[in-house]
Amino acid sequence: MSEEFKKRVSRRKFVSLTGGALAASALLVACGDNTATAPVASTTAAATTAATATTAAATTAATATTAAATTAAGAATTAAGAATTAATGGTAAAFNSGFTVPTTPIKLSIWADAPEMAAYYQKVSADYQKLRPNVTFDIQAFAARDFEAKIAAAIPSDTAADVMQGNIYAFRKYIEANLLPKNPSQVTGLINTAGAYPKELTDLLIFNKDYYGMPFYQGRHAIYYNTDFFTAAGLTSAPATMDDLTTYAKKLVKVSGGNMTVSGLSLRLTGAGSGIAEKFGMWLFPNGGDILQKTADGKYHSNYSNEAGMKTLKMYIDMLYKDKTDDPKIKHDTEAFELQATAMYARESNVVGDIAAKAPTLKYNTAPMPKGVRWGDLSSPVSHMVSKSSKNADTAWDFVMYCAQEAQLNYLLGSIGWIPQRQDYTYAEALKAKPQFAAFVFKDPNYKLYTAPNIGQFDEIQTKLAERLSKAYLDSSLLNNDAGMKKVLEDAAKESDDILKKANLYG
Amino acid sequence: MGGSSLQRQKLMFVFIGLAPIIIIYGATRIWPIIRTFSLSLFDSNLVTPEAKFIGAQNYVDLLDDDSFKTAFLNTTLFALGTVVASLTLGLVLALVLTQFIRKSSLYQLIYFLPFVMPIVPVAIVWRWIYDPGYGLLNYFLSWFGIPKQAFLLYPETGLWAIVAMNVWKVVGYNMVILIVGIRNIPLLYSEAAAIDGAGRFAVLRYITVPLLKPVILFVLVVTTIGAYNVFTSVYVMTQSTTASGNAIKILVGEIVQNGFRYSKMGYASSQAVILFVVVMALTLIQFRFVRSDT
Repeated sequence: MSEEFKKRVSRRKFVSLTGGALAASALLVACGDNTATAPVASTTAAATTAATATTAAATTAATATTAAATTAAGAATTAAGAATTAATGGTAAAFNSGFTVPTTPIKLSIWADAPEMAAYYQKVSADYQKLRPNVTFDIQAFAARDFEAKIAAAIPSDTAADVMQGNIYAFRKYIEANLLPKNPSQVTGLINTAGAYPKELTDLLIFNKDYYGMPFYQGRHAIYYNTDFFTAAGLTSAPATMDDLTTYAKKLVKVSGGNMTVSGLSLRLTGAGSGIAEKFGMWLFPNGGDILQKTADGKYHSNYSNEAGMKTLKMYIDMLYKDKTDDPKIKHDTEAFELQATAMYARESNVVGDIAAKAPTLKYNTAPMPKGVRWGDLSSPVSHMVSKSSKNADTAWDFVMYCAQEAQLNYLLGSIGWIPQRQDYTYAEALKAKPQFAAFVFKDPNYKLYTAPNIGQFDEIQTKLAERLSKAYLDSSLLNNDAGMKKVLEDAAKESDDILKKANLYG
Repeated sequence: MGGSSLQRQKLMFVFIGLAPIIIIYGATRIWPIIRTFSLSLFDSNLVTPEAKFIGAQNYVDLLDDDSFKTAFLNTTLFALGTVVASLTLGLVLALVLTQFIRKSSLYQLIYFLPFVMPIVPVAIVWRWIYDPGYGLLNYFLSWFGIPKQAFLLYPETGLWAIVAMNVWKVVGYNMVILIVGIRNIPLLYSEAAAIDGAGRFAVLRYITVPLLKPVILFVLVVTTIGAYNVFTSVYVMTQSTTASGNAIKILVGEIVQNGFRYSKMGYASSQAVILFVVVMALTLIQFRFVRSDT
């Protein structure tokens, strides 16, 4: 080292300069990194609950927790049946899932795929803490698409939340890739308890003979109708058939100054994701078609480029451009119903909760989905999943089992509006408080509960079909144009079948 | 020898000081780009670790993908519209504010404000403005007897409605950069031209614009890159029941959809590579044709 340099930069100075540069670099990187990784997907504020669970409280409560989990400690390996009996006990005090919950401080993270579920988890986690005071929660509820984007990155990288609540179709590809754990015996025991859950729905949780996830609630549909508009139009009963639907819509539509002010039936015409195709499928079913049909050998093919598909697409086009009972330019969906800009529409049960909050004076009722050549309702099941990377898997499953208790499910139905999958409870309180739920739990031997195929490619098929349908709905040249409508369906069906072929699922 | 040693030590000091940044930048910026190029040659799924090498098949598939072709066309139209309008308007505003308005700071602030506003609330506000039911724009048009328009419902009008919003958002930034450029042109040149009898337009054409070329180039490149990477504004403005939903396809939207919704990472990577190449090529072309000869 030259003398000159020694003078200018002593060893100590060199070290301090280098250290300073490193520290500055780290600081800069930290700032930049934070900016780059700031969560953008969260559409609702993350709600962290129970931050008040202090160490003191946890210590005090340790005894209670130990007491509550007395059997659990020794019964971690208890047979599923015993655990199930305990889990079906109902009251919070009697709750015992059969899982061992440690008494040390535990933080459970929860991600939900429905923004309105933040309120549910805040309430239920607070109740759960009365049993397990050492457990705190970090709750985040997202819009469904944002949730799917989040788990797409988080599950493969082992950074997902302890508990995830989502549509079973969203989890399927991760289950098939062995990225989510199969159920512990306690959970499977409860699922298989006779009469606890509809088999049509629990069968969807099976992959390679194992169950994945705990059934939670389901998206069930009904016709919402504005009773004031019905009375004004002289309609005394809800639409019972597909023909009623179009006849009623013509009577209910209101036009003022050349502009439609109230649509007769609000159809899903535009928007993001796969919802457009899902709603198309709900009218397609009574007409005798399906988005995909399963073959005897377990493969699938499209089942809408046919008479049923034509009838359904024609219903949309006629309603828009011939009967003019709906107009793409006016408000649609729940917003339209709550603003009294539509007289009827089909939607899931959570709208009951939404109306109670946003349009409490709205006079409305609900009716089961209308009959055609078939009669039934689409169920979109939502389940709880515990991530493979969870460091507190037993506690996470314990909480999931807690969510499946009567009090929690009554709260879910009564306050949020989702229909629990569990069917061995009566939900009498919630059903009495809001009679509009009756259409969603309507039972008739001929009213079939049907579901979408549980294959990873279904979302892509439905989303791409939705894009084509949306384009078709805005094309007025399709009115009285059977060839044009047939081509729309043929092109879409070819695309659906091509996706299946590429995945070796076509048959 | 001593000098050489000193040089080496100086270099070593610089290297050690910069090493963390270089490593982190390389890991978070350069490596992902390389990885994207590599992934585009594989049939790679986000959730399964196995990836099968398929050569250029993803690129071949892109040629038959109507969604991709629509997205590419839409994004190019979006970029073209944004660049031309925001540069022209930005230049006009910059010239007016520097030459005709004495205390222009307030105006600069007003025009610049949209640029610093977060895109999501801005997009939501513009969605309301365009709303066919109660939108301000339709209310304004109704004064002239024009019936209600669903600007965002049809892809043909929706794309240009979003271009207008984007121009409103970036024009202030372009204006400020151009004002800085104009103010850096020595008055000497325009004064000399004026003495020689040059009019205001001649000064603009032969002095201001040529000397502003490096700044114009910067604005062009930045706006083009920004416009090709458009995503949030389109996503927010079209997700409504009175908007077109997925009908307005754009490249980044397609990449996100294929990569994170359908888990087709290899295919999404090939789309990202195309976007990268196009933006890079456009940038080089702009450098070639707009660079300053001064």
